Amino acid sequence: MELIRMERPPVPLSVLPPGSRGIVVALRAGRGLARRLMEMGLTPGVEVTVLRNSVGPIVVSVRGVSLALGRGVASKVFVRPL
Amino acid sequence: MPVVALAANPNVGKSTLFNALTGESAHVANWPGVTVAVNQGRVTHHGLEIVVVDLPGAYSISAGSAQAAEAVTGQFILEHSPDALVVLVDATAMERTMYMVVEALELTGRVVVAVNMMDVAERRAIHLDLDGLSSALGVPFVGISALKGWGLGVLLDRVVDVLEGRAGRRGPIRIDYGPLEPYILEISRILSRIGGLGRYPLRWLAVKVLQRDEGVLSLIGEADPTALSEVRRVISRAERDLRAPPEELVIESRYRFIERVLAGKIRTTRLVSVRLSSKLDEVALHPIVGPVFSLLLLLLSFTAVFAVNAGSPVDLILSSLGFEEAAVIISEYNLAGLVGSAFDYLTSIVSSALESAGLPAWLSSLTSEGVIGGLGLVFSFLPLVFTVFFLLGVLQDSGLMARVAISADGLFRRLGVSGRAVFPAVLGFGCSVPAVLATRAMDSDEERVTTALAVPLIPCQARMVVALALASSFSDSPSVQAAFLLALYGIQVLLYLVSIRVMRRMVVGPFPPPPMVMELPPYHVPSARVAWWYARTNAIHFLKKAGTILFAVNVGFWLLTHLGPGGYVEDPSGSVGALLGSALTPLTGLVGLGDWRVALTLVAGFMAREAVLTTLASISGAVDPTAAVSVLGLSPAQVASLAVLSMAYTPCAATISVMLQEVRLLGAVGKQVVYQLVLSFLMAAAAYWILSAFAG
Repeated sequence: MELIRMERPPVPLSVLPPGSRGIVVALRAGRGLARRLMEMGLTPGVEVTVLRNSVGPIVVSVRGVSLALGRGVASKVFVRPL
Repeated sequence: MPVVALAANPNVGKSTLFNALTGESAHVANWPGVTVAVNQGRVTHHGLEIVVVDLPGAYSISAGSAQAAEAVTGQFILEHSPDALVVLVDATAMERTMYMVVEALELTGRVVVAVNMMDVAERRAIHLDLDGLSSALGVPFVGISALKGWGLGVLLDRVVDVLEGRAGRRGPIRIDYGPLEPYILEISRILSRIGGLGRYPLRWLAVKVLQRDEGVLSLIGEADPTALSEVRRVISRAERDLRAPPEELVIESRYRFIERVLAGKIRTTRLVSVRLSSKLDEVALHPIVGPVFSLLLLLLSFTAVFAVNAGSPVDLILSSLGFEEAAVIISEYNLAGLVGSAFDYLTSIVSSALESAGLPAWLSSLTSEGVIGGLGLVFSFLPLVFTVFFLLGVLQDSGLMARVAISADGLFRRLGVSGRAVFPAVLGFGCSVPAVLATRAMDSDEERVTTALAVPLIPCQARMVVALALASSFSDSPSVQAAFLLALYGIQVLLYLVSIRVMRRMVVGPFPPPPMVMELPPYHVPSARVAWWYARTNAIHFLKKAGTILFAVNVGFWLLTHLGPGGYVEDPSGSVGALLGSALTPLTGLVGLGDWRVALTLVAGFMAREAVLTTLASISGAVDPTAAVSVLGLSPAQVASLAVLSMAYTPCAATISVMLQEVRLLGAVGKQVVYQLVLSFLMAAAAYWILSAFAG
């Protein structure tokens, strides 16, 4: 019998309120952007904390570094909220 | 002499370390096979002299012949096999900054890891087991604070250990890429058949291939196009079989490796809240307050810089407020003015000395106006260049630059560049020379070149002076004058914005700009020392590169205006330059300026835009430009045409010099100049013909 895991479904980073944490699940971006995001630390499986998300750029903390992302970019990073 | 290269992510303090090690010996150097000039210097440690090469900050190591920082880092390491490689990481951000270490260790074992910002880590109670990390990876880990000067001696000790073979790994590390391993093997086999890839480690190449690294792929394509298609097929197969892009798997494997290495080696005993930083960012990153705050910050700092260096625009502000004496003091006693006066003085001494020594007039004129005048021109920019870079250094170090760039990003991204273009743009209102130089602070090469080619369109202070003088000749009514100025300025700024798009298209092609992903470094109290190093290096670079070009142009211009058909002429109206002016009259006549004297002032305006006014006055024998206009009988339509032309017909010689220094592609700069020429002629024609029709 399979256990149904009650995990929260993944959402785009852009909808998470400040203070929330999550695990990156997927980067739905083109090759160049995905590569850049990953090199800067946003890889699937990593924990990310949202620092700012009102109007303007979204600021997240990942691997000890703060990154400012355009809204469009943030909406391509899919995160499972913790 | 052993060569040690410094590599790191941006914002990790590499420049601080480089300057702390090399000090005064830093200069810019070109290495064969490396597409960008790099900073280089010397350090002596226990009697051993070491060459230190500062590679550009990058997030990874690539290959190929691009100019991107990643490629340059790879080019240097692969072509020149430095005797040791120091990779800098941030003690407060080990997880992310270790990525570069891993990429380096996959290439070479002769690495020393310098863990910087140990002072900040200490303040935040972050503790690192550096010996444990050394054991885990087989290379020395040294804790340093480049800013405070901690650990530099120990760092150099370990570097010498690696140089003399007592430390470091015998070979690169080998990361287990799990399911990708069979594909790595297959690609390695294909690559081993290609000649001409000798210096590149096969496994490294194979992994880069799976990362779809453009530099490596084009390298393979050039060596053997068949092999390229073969490896591409392997990549597709890997993607299909593993149901995920191989490039992601590669990066993930590296990060998993880093996590395993770091596990248990970082301890934080107490988290210090970064409340102040957050509070500051609430202002700085706010969508409305942020841009206002940023704009104020920029205007204030740049006005201060320009006031000290050139007097403007503070002197104009003061005189319009009624403080005439203060205005005069500022416009006389500013750095550029002082340097200029010093050189004028020198010129007069030298020329009278030469004349009384009995030397011919042409030699005395060449020496004083050509040579000394040229030196004076170059050095008159020096204080401005220095202070601008100092300011940029402070903004960068404090973290404010990233916030200002983010505020401005909304405006600039639509045009194709990042918000960092706001710095050159604001500077451009003072002077195009530091504006073009300030593009160094931009992220990518394409953005740098695009911005450097567009920013000369912004009307600088010299052009403002010309515009003001011509406005008073255009009309007596102050409101018409104001409208005239506003129209001139407004069109120029619009032109600048459009030109960003045009230049980007020319440089990059019809590709949309990349979306914003910018690292937000924590706020720091900026260090004057760091800003000083930054300013000093760039000022010296300016003197050597752009300064030489400008000096040569100045001498060339002297020849143009002092050589006539019969030899030396004292009065430029008999020179080849004047003949050139006359030859141009059919062209300038198209915009209503068919008088050879006006054409000559345009030629003169190439060196410095204010020369338009002085030449206008001197050539017509009038006492000032306004009188000159009546002497020459120029109608308001013609004045308007001249004004429009003066704004943008060509970048001044100094601007072209720095454009050549920063852009380096003669073709691109040439196209930009032609672009400005054609555009301004079209607009001048429009102004002339429309206004003539109105005037009846």
